[in-house]
Amino acid sequence: MDVGIGLRAPHFAELLERRPALGFLEVHSENYFGDGGPQLAALERFRAAWPLSLHGVGLSLGTSGALDARHLARLDALVRRVEPALVSEHLSWSAFGGRHANDLLPLPYTEEALAQACSHIGEVQDRLGRAILVENVSSYLEFPGATIPEWEFLAEAARRTGCGVLLDVNNVWVNATNHGFDAHRYIDAIDPRSVGEIHLAGFEASDGVLIDTHGTAVSDAVWDLYRRALVRFGPRPTLVEWDTGIPALDVLLGEAEKARAIRDASIEARAA
Amino acid sequence: MSHLAATQRDFLAALVDDSPGQDARIAIYRRAVLANWHGALAAAYPVVLRLVGAAFFREAAERFARESPSTSGDLNDFGAGFADFLAAYEHAGTLEYLADVARLEWAVHQAHLAADAPACDFDAFARVPAENHDAFRFRFHPAAHLMRSDHAVVALWQANQPGRDGTPDRTAGPEHALVVRGDDGVRVDLLPKPDWEFLDALARGATLGEACALVADDDLGRVLAHLSVPGVLCGFEAPAPA
Repeated sequence: MDVGIGLRAPHFAELLERRPALGFLEVHSENYFGDGGPQLAALERFRAAWPLSLHGVGLSLGTSGALDARHLARLDALVRRVEPALVSEHLSWSAFGGRHANDLLPLPYTEEALAQACSHIGEVQDRLGRAILVENVSSYLEFPGATIPEWEFLAEAARRTGCGVLLDVNNVWVNATNHGFDAHRYIDAIDPRSVGEIHLAGFEASDGVLIDTHGTAVSDAVWDLYRRALVRFGPRPTLVEWDTGIPALDVLLGEAEKARAIRDASIEARAA
Repeated sequence: MSHLAATQRDFLAALVDDSPGQDARIAIYRRAVLANWHGALAAAYPVVLRLVGAAFFREAAERFARESPSTSGDLNDFGAGFADFLAAYEHAGTLEYLADVARLEWAVHQAHLAADAPACDFDAFARVPAENHDAFRFRFHPAAHLMRSDHAVVALWQANQPGRDGTPDRTAGPEHALVVRGDDGVRVDLLPKPDWEFLDALARGATLGEACALVADDDLGRVLAHLSVPGVLCGFEAPAPA
């Protein structure tokens, strides 16, 4: 599972025809929550050819109160159906009181929020019968009253629950820029043993704020941060995400090739 | 209420608050969530979008999203009530067919996601003595859906599929639709009224004999042929032995 790409519908036919050498494919879990039909049938064809990573965007691990039991049951059914190599969710919230924002919203980084998120991570891992990876999200604001640096919040969630970290280095860069912290300090706070996957994506700047659009190529600053992350963590399954203005498959494969070259160089450097 | 709960309650409220003078950073999230909801509706209702145009659709989608908050972390679930919203939407007043087109599109959306099911075993049916056939009931495939409209919704739906120029073949209703998921995907078939009424009776639990009694003798051959169309039925229930 060296380098993979996000699997998106516009690329289905071309991927199945060309079968490029990819370490894995990652999908948004919720896109396959249907009971049957052509979308799930397609996923099973991809599953037969590549390792699969299920990446959830709607479970809302940081929600105050109970997890959505129906959502967790549908995720559990999908995990049992396709037996993915990796299962991940976000360290964020998107629902409260039965209402869903359907977006990855930042948590106030407090002891209360950490305890709540850890309880939910534990519940998910118990239900699925396996460890999950939890991803850091991009954010455009910080809550007054936050008491824990974001990197400690993430590292502590992994330490308390035994979950892995899916470190999105683009999100680290976006947040470091938006909130004025040192991105290297963030990387250095994460236990290398906890890191199970790395995400790469593109951001766009708007009125002085970096927005995590997943709609452009990976920036030079994020490639540099990726190199730095590999020095600390060693090679990890790495995913290139592109979700808006989805480009031709070759553009995405080019980004994956670039990630693979950086990863290979880091392995050689470690061996030297 | 805990600090976390209060923070999340207030943040969610701010996301759907369209009053002026909001925090610029919260506005980034507001644009993102509205874009997500709009995108989900545009994906489920492409024909409505094409019929009303992008600007009208965006305004309707945002109003709907504010009035009918999402209740699922799966955006495929969002928009079940959009047809009812459009039926009452003051700006859609002259487009009488719009709500029914939306109902048809939601049935198509659901059909894509419905469970798989085996084909109906007609060989087993044929092995039953013919005099017993009238007492059989049939199970419809989970993706199959029957819909009747006062408007020419099937013509409108078909005319607004990719590659078509939007000009419907017919403009007068009523029309009787069968949504069915076959090997080539989900399609919408226009049925003659007797055929639709026959299938509708079966779908509501009538026996084959009861449904056939609704149909003129000359139509029976054509009407019965629908039962073997792939994706319509997935099984039958034999009558209990006498």
